[in-house]
Amino acid sequence: MDAIINWYNDLMSNEIWFYLIHTLLKLVLMFAVILAFVVLSVWIERRVAGWIQDRPGPNRAGLPLFLLQRFGSKEKQPLKEWLHFFGIPETCWIAKLCTWLRLDREIPCFGLIQPCLDGGKLFLKQETTPSYVRKFYFILAPMLVLGPPLVAAAVVPFASEVNTCYGNISMCVANLEIGPLWIFAISGLSVYGLTLAGWSSNSKYPFLGGLRATAQLISYEVAMGLSIIPLLMMFGTLNLQQIVQFQADNGWTLLPLWGEGLSWQRWVMMLPLGISFIIFVTCVFAEANRTPFDMAECETDLVAGYHAEYSSMKFASFFMGEYAAMVIGSAVVVTLFLGGWSIGFGADAALAAYCDWLAVLCQFLMFVVKLLAFIFFFVWVRWTLPRFRWDQVMKLGWLYFLEITVANIFLTAAVLYFIK
Amino acid sequence: MFETSLCQILFYLLAALAVLCAVGVVAYRNPVNSAMCMAVSFAMVAAIFFGMGAQFLGIVQLIVYAGAILVLFLFVVMMLDIHDEGKSRGSSVHATVGVLIAGFFAGLIIVTAWNLPGATEASCPARNLCSSMGELLIGDARTVSEAPATTPQYGSYLPELSPAAAARMENPAISEEEAAKATSISDVKLLGKCLYTHYNIPFVILGFALLSGTVGAVALARKIRKD
Repeated sequence: MDAIINWYNDLMSNEIWFYLIHTLLKLVLMFAVILAFVVLSVWIERRVAGWIQDRPGPNRAGLPLFLLQRFGSKEKQPLKEWLHFFGIPETCWIAKLCTWLRLDREIPCFGLIQPCLDGGKLFLKQETTPSYVRKFYFILAPMLVLGPPLVAAAVVPFASEVNTCYGNISMCVANLEIGPLWIFAISGLSVYGLTLAGWSSNSKYPFLGGLRATAQLISYEVAMGLSIIPLLMMFGTLNLQQIVQFQADNGWTLLPLWGEGLSWQRWVMMLPLGISFIIFVTCVFAEANRTPFDMAECETDLVAGYHAEYSSMKFASFFMGEYAAMVIGSAVVVTLFLGGWSIGFGADAALAAYCDWLAVLCQFLMFVVKLLAFIFFFVWVRWTLPRFRWDQVMKLGWLYFLEITVANIFLTAAVLYFIK
Repeated sequence: MFETSLCQILFYLLAALAVLCAVGVVAYRNPVNSAMCMAVSFAMVAAIFFGMGAQFLGIVQLIVYAGAILVLFLFVVMMLDIHDEGKSRGSSVHATVGVLIAGFFAGLIIVTAWNLPGATEASCPARNLCSSMGELLIGDARTVSEAPATTPQYGSYLPELSPAAAARMENPAISEEEAAKATSISDVKLLGKCLYTHYNIPFVILGFALLSGTVGAVALARKIRKD
């Protein structure tokens, strides 16, 4: 036992091993969270869509009970056994209620199993590669769509720092000095996937979809990058961990209610920051390729857009890539505008003074809650607004957003110069 | 030791890939293959920048070249629907002019690299370039090379340019203890400071050149109304 503890101490005292181990752990955690959120956001999407359209949505699929017993045997009925155990007659209202809730067949999960079943279905579908496609790029494209959002997540901080006896652990996978730029650069690379998918499919509608995706993503990247400059001017840093720390101390960007956030200067800053927020969120919608901006795959004019020729898991990669982009987009908005992991009202510092690990846990939960709330907002917008026309999308990006963001930068500079 | 050797291996690997892809750009007959090779080559150069600790330069390389310009390239190539180029018979005049131009640029790069401070002393080319970049950026502030080097960041090629020195440069009034506490160098700040002080006027002129290019593009693309 002592030998193991000693070995552990030696291992963790070595700076390089310590760095490698905690980075690897954070990496696994981050990947698990993002992938779980991809699945969860599919479910949220369908439930909220159902709710908005006044229908139940997928609320049935649960864990079938026969999986727990011997595979395939439907003879045994656990519900009946339980009823006997408690001495409740089978005709009683409790038994009827349980049957109505399908407790005799499955463990209910509010339909949470539905996305998993969808995934299973896609796995089992026939994989067809049309003979006329350009094969190398056809296979490469789905990878280029799914990969970048997962890599971009590396810089998103999901909790603050922890002081252990072996060293400091900052709770994001890579604490880079250029956080937001990293996310823009890497998630911007997924445009290659869309373009190549459209081109390599070698047929009309996918090609049009690919071209639309390229034009749209490039247009909105410009406005997106420019729209956060007012924020960076206020924060004075590009490090996401420091940005969130600033918000924890001085009030969230959009909710400055404590610390220095209570000064009137900060409330004057709300004007340019509010403009930034609206433009940035719209650009995130456009970058995630979702309604009202899903020009690249709108079924009314393009069949299915760039992925019309794809089937089975290749299609699923596009699908997951889109949802991963949505999750990362939400994470960025939450980090930059809604305080990231910070709990607010000075609770972070108080908790950290009490216990580091407790603070980190609470902050992580807070981050997840904010992320879920913003994903809900994403879905809400999708099922509320109709799709734009193609020329409207281009006009909005180039004629309005670009000009407004540039003007906003000057406005912020003026505000900072004259009142601070 | 571990860090240096790992960094060297990564540098040579990435550099070799970048050169290989650059050759691919010229060698492939299919323009889409060439464009994709170019994208990978840009990404590798960005990775080399990252390895040197110049994170901002690396990411700008990715955003501007790989993320925007090359995608537009690909866009145009796909729209035009060009098929594989046929092999053209090279004339000796073309070859001579090509070799001359390529030789000129290669010579330029070699002379520049050779004249960088410390180019002939250290073993790893990346480290030379990097330490010299530090001196170029800092210009007259030579105190940096004398500052005691603290532990460098992981994967950083910047042993000479210590975080403490960077912190002192950023804020000259900082006390010695506070400077020693600094753990990382932000090349964003170094670069910004350099561009907006030493090279302010060339920078502004360059900005105007780009602006006039944009205005020209809009003027060319503008629809002229009949009425």
